[in-house]
Formats: sequence, C-alpha cells, structure tokens
Amino acid sequence: MRRNAIGVVLAALGAASVCCSRPGPYRFQPQLLPPPAGPDAPGLPPVPLVSPRNASYTIEARLDPDKHTIAGSLVLDWRNTSEVALSSFPFHLYWNAFRNNLSTTARGEGRRRRFEPGEDERRFGWIEVRSIRRVDGAEEDLGPTRLYLHEDGDAFDRTVMEVRSARPVAPGASARFRIEWDALEPYGDPGRAGWVHDYNFVAQWFPKVGVVWHGAWNAHPFYPTTEFFSDFGVYDVRLTLPRDFVVGATGRLQESKDNPDGTRTLRFVQEDVHDFAWTASRRFRERRGRFEDLGYPPVEIRLLVQPEHEHLAARYVEATKVALRDYGAWAAPYPYPQITVVDPAWGSASGGMEYPTLFTGGASILAPRELQSPEGVTVHEAGHQFWYGLVANNEFEEAWLDEGFNTYMTSKALHASLGEPAWGRRVLDRAGWDRGRLGWPVVERSIRIPRGAGDREELREGGKVDVMARPGWTYRDAASYGLNSYGKPALVLQTLEGLLGEPTMTRVLRTYARRYRFSHPTTADFIAVVNEVTGRDWRWFFDETFFSSDLCDYAVTVEHQPVRVPTGWFEGKDGMLEYRRAPQKPPGREGAVDSRVTVVRRGEVRMPVELRVELEGGRVLNETWDGRDRWKRFSYPGAKVVRAVVDPEGRIAIDVDRVNNEWIDDDGPARRASTRWAERFLLWVQAFLELQTVVG
Amino acid sequence: MRALVDGFRGLLRNPGLIVLVLVLNAAVALVAALPVASLLWQDLSHTGASTRMMYGFDYDWWSRFDHQAKGLAGDLAPDLLGTGFLWRNLDLLLRGAVPAGLFSGFTGTGAVVLGLAALYWLLQVFLSGGLLALFRAPAGGWTFRGLVHACGFHFARLLRIALLAVAVAALLFAAWRPLGSWSDHLAREAVSERAALFLVFGRAALLLVALLLLHMVSSYAKVILVCEERRSAVLAMAASLGFCARHLGAVLAQYLAVGLLGAALVLLFALLDGWLEVSGWKTQLLALALFEGFLAARIALRLGLLAGQVELEQAGERPRG
Repeated sequence: MRRNAIGVVLAALGAASVCCSRPGPYRFQPQLLPPPAGPDAPGLPPVPLVSPRNASYTIEARLDPDKHTIAGSLVLDWRNTSEVALSSFPFHLYWNAFRNNLSTTARGEGRRRRFEPGEDERRFGWIEVRSIRRVDGAEEDLGPTRLYLHEDGDAFDRTVMEVRSARPVAPGASARFRIEWDALEPYGDPGRAGWVHDYNFVAQWFPKVGVVWHGAWNAHPFYPTTEFFSDFGVYDVRLTLPRDFVVGATGRLQESKDNPDGTRTLRFVQEDVHDFAWTASRRFRERRGRFEDLGYPPVEIRLLVQPEHEHLAARYVEATKVALRDYGAWAAPYPYPQITVVDPAWGSASGGMEYPTLFTGGASILAPRELQSPEGVTVHEAGHQFWYGLVANNEFEEAWLDEGFNTYMTSKALHASLGEPAWGRRVLDRAGWDRGRLGWPVVERSIRIPRGAGDREELREGGKVDVMARPGWTYRDAASYGLNSYGKPALVLQTLEGLLGEPTMTRVLRTYARRYRFSHPTTADFIAVVNEVTGRDWRWFFDETFFSSDLCDYAVTVEHQPVRVPTGWFEGKDGMLEYRRAPQKPPGREGAVDSRVTVVRRGEVRMPVELRVELEGGRVLNETWDGRDRWKRFSYPGAKVVRAVVDPEGRIAIDVDRVNNEWIDDDGPARRASTRWAERFLLWVQAFLELQTVVG
Repeated sequence: MRALVDGFRGLLRNPGLIVLVLVLNAAVALVAALPVASLLWQDLSHTGASTRMMYGFDYDWWSRFDHQAKGLAGDLAPDLLGTGFLWRNLDLLLRGAVPAGLFSGFTGTGAVVLGLAALYWLLQVFLSGGLLALFRAPAGGWTFRGLVHACGFHFARLLRIALLAVAVAALLFAAWRPLGSWSDHLAREAVSERAALFLVFGRAALLLVALLLLHMVSSYAKVILVCEERRSAVLAMAASLGFCARHLGAVLAQYLAVGLLGAALVLLFALLDGWLEVSGWKTQLLALALFEGFLAARIALRLGLLAGQVELEQAGERPRG
C-alpha cells in the first residue's frame, strides 16, 4: 500500500512536470523495413558462417567478491595469419590502466575518469601475470623475456606486455600459450569494469593477445579515449564464484556445478567472438524475451535488471528487438542464438558498453518514455553487435567505423520505431556526478528533436578542431574524440544516404557488413564498397567529410527589384534613336518585380545541392547546383519569389546551419512568432519576480 | 482557517491591490521581455523557422539561437512552455538564485533578470508596509496616496526585517553546502538508485521547508512590526518566532491551504494552457490573458496569505474574554 501511495504521488508530479498536456504518440511503431537478405541473397556477398578462429581462449577464473580479486588461468590457441614468422607476442593488460595515477589512461581526459591526487584507494586496480609459458611442443617459460611496451613514452604504463619465444611461429602455424594471472577489480567509476557493492562487471579482464594486422602486431596502450581491437576465436570460460550470485556472460551457459566450498562453477561457451565479458550480482532480477521475425534467426534475450528498474524491463527488451530487427534488415542478421542485456548497478560506470553477445544499458528510475531512455542506449549498444561485434574494425585507429556507423543506425532505428525524442531536462539535481540520472525530469512533449540535430550542434561548435579520420588517441581532447567518432561520421553517413537514396545505402551497408564480417576492415574498404555498389567514384565525398575538418553550410538569400520601365534612348520603328521618358506611374502590372535568388556556400565543404523556388501564384521551380563555387545566382525576371529553400529534402545532414537554408518573403510569421515566445518569456520573468518575495 | 478566509475577504474587498501589484510586476518584467521580442524578430525575420516557431517549435533554430545567445536570450529555452517555467523557478530557488542570485554567486540566470529581480524585491519590501497597514483595517478601502504614504512610513523598518531574513537565508545556504556534500557522498555510495533519489529529493524538500519557515517568521515579523507599530526589526523577528511557535498549527494550516490552492491553480493553468493552440494575434491575446490571469491569481494568493496573517496575528494577540 505504501508503495502504491508513493506511486500515486509520483505519477501526479510526473503529470505536472510534463509541460504540455497534449499527449504525443509513443509506442514502438510498425515500420517499413526492407526484408532481411538471406545468406545467399543474389547480388550480395555470401555471409561468412565461421570466423577465422585464430585466437581461441580456454579460461578458468575464480572471483572473491569480498576481496574483489580474480585468480585466473587461460590457454590461448593462436594462429599466425600473417605472411611473416613471429617470435614476439604482445598482450593487453587493460586493468593496469587503473594501477596508479601515472598510467597512460590515468593521465588524460577521456572515456575513463582521470585519476586525481588524493584518490580513493578502492578505485585502483591491476592485473599481474604470474606465469606465461608456451606449451605447444616443448614447454618454454616466457616470463624472463617479459617487458612492457610504451608506444606513447609513458614508462609507468603497464597495459601492453610483450614476451619473446625462442621458436618463431611460421605463417599459418599455431602456438599455444598458458598464462596464470591475478587481478584486483577497481571500484566504481574509473573505467567501465569494476565492482560496486556486490555488483561486479568484469570486462577486458584477462591477458589478451594483440592482432597481427597489415603484416605487423597492432597492440596499442590503453589510451584515455580509445577502445579495443582483437581477433576472433572460440571462448570456453569457467567462472567460479559464490552460489547466490546471478551471473551473465558472453555466450551460452553450458554447465553449472555446485562446489563443496559454497561456490558454483559456470561454464560459458561462444564461438566466433573476439572478447568475453561477464557480470555477477546478488541483486539482479532476471527477465527473458525472445526475438522472432520472418527471415531472422531467433534470438533469446536475457535481461539482468536492477530491482529498482524492474518497471523498465519491457522497454529494455523491446528496444533490443528493435536493434535486432532494424540492424538485421539494414546490414545482416544477428547470427548468435542469444543476447544478454545488463542493467548496471547504481554508482557503476559500466553502463552503455558493448561486448560480444552482451551489452550494458543504463536507465533512471524516473524515465519518461518521451525521452527514449533506456531505449536510446539499448538500441545503440545492441547495435554494436553488428559493427564492433561482427565486423570488428580497429577501434584504436578508426573508431568511427564502429561508433559512427552505429550512431547513424541508432538514430535511424529510433526514428523509425519511436519517432523523434522529446526535449527534456532534469531539475532539483545539484550533484552533477550522476551523469544526469538523478533529478526530476521535466519533459516538453510538443518539442521533438529531429534526427541528427544533437550531432549537428556539436559539429557546428567543435567540427573544425580535428580532421575526422585519425587515430583515436590523437584528437585534441575527449570532446573532439566524441564528435569525430560518433556524431560527425553519423551525419556523414546520413548525408550519404540522402545523396544515394535509402535503397542504395542499404545495399552498401549490406555488402559491407556481409563481405567484412569477422575480418577487421578499414575505411578504404568501406569507400571501395560504396564505389562498387554505386558504380561511381565517391572519393571526393569522403575527402570533403571523413578526411577533413571543414564545415558544410549552404544558405539562401532573395532580393526583389521593381521591374525596370524602359527609359532613355532606344531605336524607334524607323531605326532612329528616340528618347523614352519615364512615365509618372509605371505601366504594366502594379508592383511587378524581378527576383534574384542567391545560394551561398558559407562553409568549405562542397556538396551538390537542390534549390526549390516558389513564385507568387503557386508556381514551383526546382534548380540544381554542383555547389562547388562560393555562390550561385538564379534570376526570375518579372516573377516574385515568395519562398526559396536550399536542400529542401534535408539530404545534406551535415549542413551545420539549416535555419539559413530557407527564405520566406512574408515577415508576418516572424512578428507573430517573436511575440508568441516573448509572451512566454514574460510569463517566466513575472513568475521569477514573484518568487523573489519568498526570501525577504 | 477563519483568519485566512477573512484575509481573502479583505483582499477581495480591495481587488485594485492585486491589479496594482500585477501592473508593477508586468512593468518590471517587460523591461526584459521587450528586448527579447525584438531579438527574436530580428533572428526569425524572413526565415522558414519563423513559421514553425509561430505554430510550434523549430529545434534546429533554437539550438543555433541558444548557441549564439548572450544575455537575456540565453534564458529562452523550451522549458518556458507549459508548467516548465515553474520547475525552472523552483530549481533556481533551491540553487540560491533567490533573491537576485545572492546565494548562487549571481548565476543561474542572466544578469538583467537578476537585476530586475533585485529591483522587484525592493519594491515589494516597500509595498508591504502599505499593504499590511491596509489589511489591518481592510473595510475602509484605500487610496493610492494613502498606500504610498504607509509604504514610505514603514519602509525602513521593513527593509531591516527583509535584510535580516536574507542574512538568515545566507546562513541557511552556507550550512547547506556541507550538508549537500555529505548527502552527495551518501547518494554516491548508496546501494540503490532509489536511495540516492530519496537523498537528493529529500535534501531539496528539506531546504524548501527551511525557506518556507524562514518566510513564515519574516512575514509575521512584518505583520507584528506594522500592526503593533514596533521599531526594532530584531525584536519583531523574535516576537514573530514566539507567535509562530504559539500558533504553529494555525500558521502552518494557512501555508498548507495556500499551497493547495496554488497547486490547484497550477493544474488549472496547465489544463488551459495545454488546450489553447497559440499562433496568431487573437490566440496570443488569449494566451496573454491566461498568463496574466495566472499571475494575478498567484499574486492574490500571496496577498491573501499576508492578509490572513494579519487577521491571525490580530486574533491571536487580542485579549480573550
């Protein structure tokens, strides 16, 4: 009963905080999607069913939840896919990013929290390799050869370890490594892994071999902004921890065995993935769903949700289905039989991250549907399965190939299934450290945020800071990394879709997703696919966008001039010059004008643009311009232009100022709109003035 | 409650007072609103966004306008719509932006609005003397000249009370910071988001109650000062504290009743505002009437509470027998 009463009060307050009383439409809408292409669809590359499986791990690990330690051992079966023999082997030790305040991650700003002086001791964590041996053929202790790589010059960084073997591994040959290690989980929010109370999120947690890429090892330190890169394989993982923990992990649960010491050992197996993450907590509530649709393999959805977020369970599951359906249609269907969705614990920074067949969401108890949270983060993180998970580009060096593609498709999927999100903000929240989860949500339902608008804002403000296509650790700051990895590439792809048309764009994405499944493609590979599918060279487009820090901004202006009445010396009927005087009152149509429409390229980026011109009387003209010069003028003698719009269909999503794209002759709406909003402003100021009487 | 009802009756016998305060309020607010209207017109002129802003909202336009906005224009945001502005004001109050940004380091909103708020605060302190003198004997009616005379007569003493209240509020906000940090720490370490929410909202509610109690004491101090013609602001505050303690139930009941009326008023406003489609001049006039009607009712509630406090004070201090 008490809970019910609180619910009624919260509901009443919620109703009051929704600013506009007219309800907006909200529900997952049936959408027009292209049917998913089958594995052997004509005109498309076949879908690879098996990955190269050149880095497979068999892991055993034990979690001590009281000491927050993990003791593990693994066997790595690795195959040399390069064309050179290799005798050195780099391993990522990601948790050493939290070892002290002098690691590469701890020094800089970025995705992970910067360590400050006087840091809480619990926030530090580490991973220490106890032993490393090569066990194929004669056993070889590689421990004495161990050294740490410092690509960035930070001698204190321990996130990449290298060992050397006396026996080089020939091209195509395999090696087996046995590694034993210990690790201390960091607390709370320095990185995306760690513990909070009894919640453990364990990711990037074991020694992981680098990738031989383009003929050399690729194993970068754990930079503050960058993510990950690894090879595909089969993961067979046994986890031992107290029996009362609920566990979620990459892959399928194969075995569960209770041990005499009160622990339980769970075995998870997954083929054709490039990482393994898991989570354990006593507080998880488990919910299940199933995705089934014509043309898609069925997927079991397992949701591990916090007790206080149980009311959001259905929204989590539905959003996951949206991602599986939409991304499957636009790229290639999700191939694994299950997916695990984790709702992170309060105080953990593990939310909003992707791992193979498992991802973390993020939500607030107070989650008005119009704000599309947790739907936004759920679709996004589930969507990573299709790019990060299955295509698996190098996230260190070309983050946009995952984050940018995914942001583009997230906004497309959300727009198609939920419509535009409403504008909202949270009040009564002074903390600032809670990532906007606390506070009372004030939602304005009548204000919808168009697709790409938020990214356009960021591009307008920070787009000139960096060329988009560059390694993730070389951007000027974290904001620039964010813009150039997420927002800008998403807008570029939306623009490409506008120029190619939706069907062609879908064919491009399908071709790219299928051809490069399990194979670490690059930006050049994507551009080649665009050229191949369209039959045209689109390099110019990517030069203007991916390989540029320039902005795109087209604007239109219109001038009217009275039609000129012939005055002066003209040839008469007899061929002789005669003088014509200006009449007192111009003859012909009263107030007739000539119109000149000027389209201006204010930014440096050049795109072909369309112009729609509406003349008085209702006639509509469509013009085109290659957009390469600084401006182009269109003249309409004797016709009055009442409206001119450059890019009327909104194809050029990267145009940073869409307000100057449209000109109208009538100034009445501006007057009425200004008074309308000034009235609102007046009301607020009046109420604020009255509020002053509270104190005094 | 009888005192409150009598207070409202007295106020309704002099409705011109509500109009006077409303006109004063609107006149000060227009100083900010008129330049905003001009800015908006200049920015929207001959743009397609103007049509969308006339009928609804153009997010792309606002995003660019807000990015370039300086001064007054920075306060133009979507939460001006519906009841959003009330949440914004509540947030500003709890952030210490009232009065005039004194406890928020003059932040939270633009300098012009904060300056106008300071002016309005002073005007209301000035006006309260005349209003209280009038509510002491509401049956006699009022003249503008008489009101101004009474305002001037009591102004210096009432200003001292108001400044005293501001000083107490300053102490309250100063004490609030360590409490805020402590509750932040608790919220951060909480096992559940529910506990963290409870702490954050509980903290906000506690501050709100503390500010209302301060308002109660300072308001009764003004009543006592005017009705009993006292000279010392400090002693009036002390007497008010005693009065509120002796009549705690009645005093709180008045606030509760006015609070409930205020909530009903907000609900009614939200309903009407949601129903009204505003675009052209006629509907804008209707909206303006609705807004000013809402403000007039808000002012009436404040003045009615003040009149009720005078009634309660006079009834409470009258010898029984």
